[in-house]
Formats: sequence, C-alpha cells, structure tokens
Amino acid sequence: MRRSNVTTIMKKEFARFFGDKRMLITLFLPGILIFVLYTIMGSAMTDMLSPDPDIPPTVYVVDIPHSLEKDSLWSWCEIMNAVDQSMIKQQISDKQADLLIVFPADFDEAVARYDVTTKLDAPNIELYYNPLEISSSNAYAITVSILDSYEATLANKFDLNRDIDGNLATPEELSASIISMLMPMLIITFLFSGTAGIGTESIAGEKERGTLGTLLVSPLKRSELALGKILSLAILSFLIGLVSSVSTILSLPRLIGATDAISVDIYTVKEYILLALVILSTLLLLVSLVTLVSAFAKSVKEASTAIMPLMIVVMVIGVSGMFGSASSGSWFYLIPIYNSVESMSALFALDYSSLNVVLAVISNVIYCFIASFILAKMFNNEKVIFSG
Amino acid sequence: MNHSLISVEGISKTFKLSKKQQKLTKVDSKYLKAVDNLSFNAYEGEIFGLLGPNGAGKTTALRILSTLIKPDSGDALVDGYSIITQPEEVRSKIGFLTGELKLEDFFTPNYLFDFFSSVHNISSSVREQRKEILFSRFGIDGFREVKVANLSSGMKQKTSLAVSLVHDPNIIIFDEPTNGLDVLTAKVVTDFLLELKESGKTIIISTHIFSLVERICDRVGILIDGQMEVCDRLERLTGKLSLEDLFFLLYQERKGENI
Repeated sequence: MRRSNVTTIMKKEFARFFGDKRMLITLFLPGILIFVLYTIMGSAMTDMLSPDPDIPPTVYVVDIPHSLEKDSLWSWCEIMNAVDQSMIKQQISDKQADLLIVFPADFDEAVARYDVTTKLDAPNIELYYNPLEISSSNAYAITVSILDSYEATLANKFDLNRDIDGNLATPEELSASIISMLMPMLIITFLFSGTAGIGTESIAGEKERGTLGTLLVSPLKRSELALGKILSLAILSFLIGLVSSVSTILSLPRLIGATDAISVDIYTVKEYILLALVILSTLLLLVSLVTLVSAFAKSVKEASTAIMPLMIVVMVIGVSGMFGSASSGSWFYLIPIYNSVESMSALFALDYSSLNVVLAVISNVIYCFIASFILAKMFNNEKVIFSG
Repeated sequence: MNHSLISVEGISKTFKLSKKQQKLTKVDSKYLKAVDNLSFNAYEGEIFGLLGPNGAGKTTALRILSTLIKPDSGDALVDGYSIITQPEEVRSKIGFLTGELKLEDFFTPNYLFDFFSSVHNISSSVREQRKEILFSRFGIDGFREVKVANLSSGMKQKTSLAVSLVHDPNIIIFDEPTNGLDVLTAKVVTDFLLELKESGKTIIISTHIFSLVERICDRVGILIDGQMEVCDRLERLTGKLSLEDLFFLLYQERKGENI
C-alpha cells in the first residue's frame, strides 16, 4: 500500500467537501445552530424566571406588625403603606403594583394569644398578587417564605442544617455528573449524523453517479481507496462533531440556566486526551459502518434509508449512557459503540479506569481495520460496483 | 506481425439473473453466460474492434480486461501482466473509457487531470506537459476551470478522454466510443483514436456500429451471445461482403432464424 495514494484520495475528499459551500453549510450549520438556539433558549428561560433586578417589586402593606417591621426583611422590594385596598387590588390586576399584604390589626397579640388546642381560627394574613406578572409572583413567593420562616421561629422544635452546608458533592462533581449524563449521548448523535451525511455522499453518491468506477480503473489498490475514504471521512466528521460538541458544552450552562454551577474547567489534560482518543476511534468505527452500508446501497437515498436502523441502535446505546453503566467489567469495553458511550460517560464523570478506556480505543481501531478490509473486498466485487 | 499486447485466453463470465431480469430477457435459466470461453489477441499498434449486438458480452469482456470484474475462468495478459494476479499493474498500463464511468460533477477538468495524474504517480512537470498537449488537442483550455456539472456532454467526453490518458498508456480500451455523442464530438473521438494508433498505441474498442469498425479497425472480432464467431483482419473477413452482410449472415447461422 502506498501512503501517497491514500493521501491523494484524502485530498480529493477534502477538496470535494470543503470546496462545496452548500455542503459545508449543511454540515456545520447544525453545530452553530445548537449554540445559538441553546443560548437563546437558556437566557430566555432565565430572564423569564428572574425579575428585573433594577426595578424592585412594589409591595403594599396594611397594619404591618412590629415583629415583621425590620427593614432587612423587605430590602428586596419597595414597601409602602396601603391607603385604599380596593384601588391597590385593581393596580395589581392591571400589573401596576405587585403585592398587597393585609395583616390583622392586632397581629402580634393575636399570634401570642393563639393556641392550637382551641378551636378558634388562627390569625389570617391576606396576600393579593397577580401570577401573570413575574415580579408579582416572585414577590408573592418571597413573602410567603418570609412569613413561613417567621411562623417556624414561633414554634421552633428543631433546626435543619443550622450554619452548615449539607451538600457534600463538590461543585466539580456536580458539573461532572450533569455533563456525563448529557454529553455522551449528544456527542455520539452528532458524530453519527455528521458521518451519515458525508459517508453516504462519498460512497453511495459516487456509485450512483458512476464516479467510483472511474477511480476503480485507476491503478489504485482497493485497500488504498478504502482507507483513504475512511480516514478522510473520519477527519471531516470529527470536525463536524467537534463544532457540535463544543457548541453544546459552551451553551450547556446557559441552557440549564446555571452559568456558575457548571464548568468544564474541571477536566485535566489527561481526560481531554483520552476523550479525544475515544471520540476519534469511535469516529473511525462509525465511518467504517456507514461506508459499509453505503457501499451496499445503489443510491444516496437508499443508503440513507439503510442507515436508519443503525442510527436508531446508536442512539439507543447513547441514551443508555444517561442511566449509569450496566457493568464495569472490562469485557464490556470491547462492545462497539457501547464502549464509546461508557468511556465518554466515565471520563466526563471523572470516574474512569484508564485500562477500560484504552481497551475501547484499541478495539475500535481494530474494528475499523476489519471494516476497511471488508470495504476493500467490496470494491473488488462487481455486484457492489455495478449494482446500479 | 507485431507482438501481441493483449492476449485473452478462454475467459468466461456468468451472471446470476434476478427474477425481474429473467422476465425482461425472457430466459428460463437463472444464469446468463455473458462471456463464453472467449479468446483473442490484440497486437501492438492496431485498433481491434469487438463488434456485436447489445447483450453480446462486449462490455463484460472489456470490464474483465480492465480488471473491474473478474472472470469465472480463463485469464488475460495485458502487456504481460495477468488481469487475475496483477490487476494494479494492468490498470497502470491501460486507459479505460466508457460512458458509464463518469467524472465527478463537482471538480474542474484541470483538477481532475491533476488528481488522476497523482493517482498514476506522474511527476508534476510531465503532468503539465501532457496537460498542455491534451487540453489544446481537445479544446479543453476554454473550460478547464469550469465544473464538470456545467459542461455539455461533448465537453465531458473530451475531458474523460484527456483524463484517461494522463499516464500516456500504451493500451487504450474504449467501450462504445461514440455512443451518445453528437456527430462533431464523435468525429473528434474517432480522429483521435486514429491519431493514437499512428503514434503506436494499441486500442481495443467495442461497438455495434459497422461503419465505425470499417473506418478505424484493423482487426475485428464478432461477438454473439458471449462467443467469438470470427476474428481476423477486416479485409480477410469480409471479402466481397460488407461487414454488415457478414454480421447478419453469421447471426442467422447462429440463431437459425431470420431476423
């Protein structure tokens, strides 16, 4: 096998895909769209759920009791004494004001007098708000929690987590767990869809248009052609997968609305290298599978249809990665696709065995070589070349 | 007589027919013997024609010669290389042209010429020299940077011709050289084949057009149902008959029926 022949084929494939603007747009646009869409969705959702901090909610109050008069309790809002209750209720329903709190006139005394054992009604506070207005429903929620905690202090029997933070997971682990749940499935889906797009085009498309035959009458060895195709397609799909994956990672914190809680700075160089190896070897495998299926098909359309079942299998395995690993036995890391999802999941979760990851990478590369050997055989098979 | 550059020794090829194909060809057998124990030689510096009706096995024979498909039995030597055991060497010696093998729409004639030159390991200086000669010979210069998709069928055929000759092969195999071409491009092609022959190349063509054989071939083999009926120098075969008369005579003898 001549290396220069393999690179000649690869150069041609790159020229084919990078020279075609339409093709580039359809391949890379999804990745960029993911970023834009997730970011817009994320920030829109965050905006919707958090009120504008520059404009504090206007809260009207009737007969505020001495016990709840502290300024520190109401610093989040602009609190005013209500003069005309019905006018303020109208303002709330017109979204002009946010909240009206009506305390009983002798609230503190009534509370002190109140005994649960008597059948008398407890003192009642009235809250009027408008759930259609975000600042209003927020003001309502905050007030409820202030009143609830005041009520709790009145009959304090025990405390919960006083002066301690009970969350024992480090922020890194939290990030890792969220990323490891989502990313393997997303990455494998991105990789597959990129591969399916260009793989069918490069093999079935060339067959359909009769250009594969032109290559086959050249002195190229079948194996050179097969390897050249697989390698160039793997690199192209890597770029597509990279754009999509990076977009997702960057937009993930915004999507979940937790810009501070999720960070990708938690991984070291070692994890990134292992991850890159896993992704690259998975790509080689996916490309091999797609090219094999494409080589059997007569046209791009037929190839795309034939790839659907494969896509479903890959996605199902990808989703399975979201629900933890079924087994940590090394043998499982020899099962194609499953090994990639498991390795990625473990790497993202920072809970991996290097041996298993390396095992997955090596087995993927071996599967790829087997597949390119079969592909080379297929290029020798007239039924494959002239099936159209 | 010059020495034999291509010698075909008893090649056979059987295709399995699908049910649909069986219906179309109205044969009961599941198998179709496309080429049946075919032997012939093509000598250096001549144009050899394989003449026959559609389905006679011409294309199959040429595909076997160009190593696109393998025969079930028999072998052929192309410039001394076996099509069975040395397919890469065979392919480096031949230029193979057929309407079925196309050039990628996306690329320009210039790019494709360079690409196939590197596939054939041609140095860039030789490549540029050949490109100048072939592009000006076929008038490709005017559209050398136009994508194949935007070329007319005549321009495409000219580009295919130029591209198949990047390695200056001594042997040219051409399946139905004038099929689907307008009269002008067809003339460009036949003239060029004669020119190649003048420069000492060996050419095998397949065709069903009698006049083409009469115009350019030195020797001809008439193929009917995968078998070689006759094979000799054109003038020795026909004698007083025209090639057309000879063909129909043979066909009638073979099929035992009037056409």
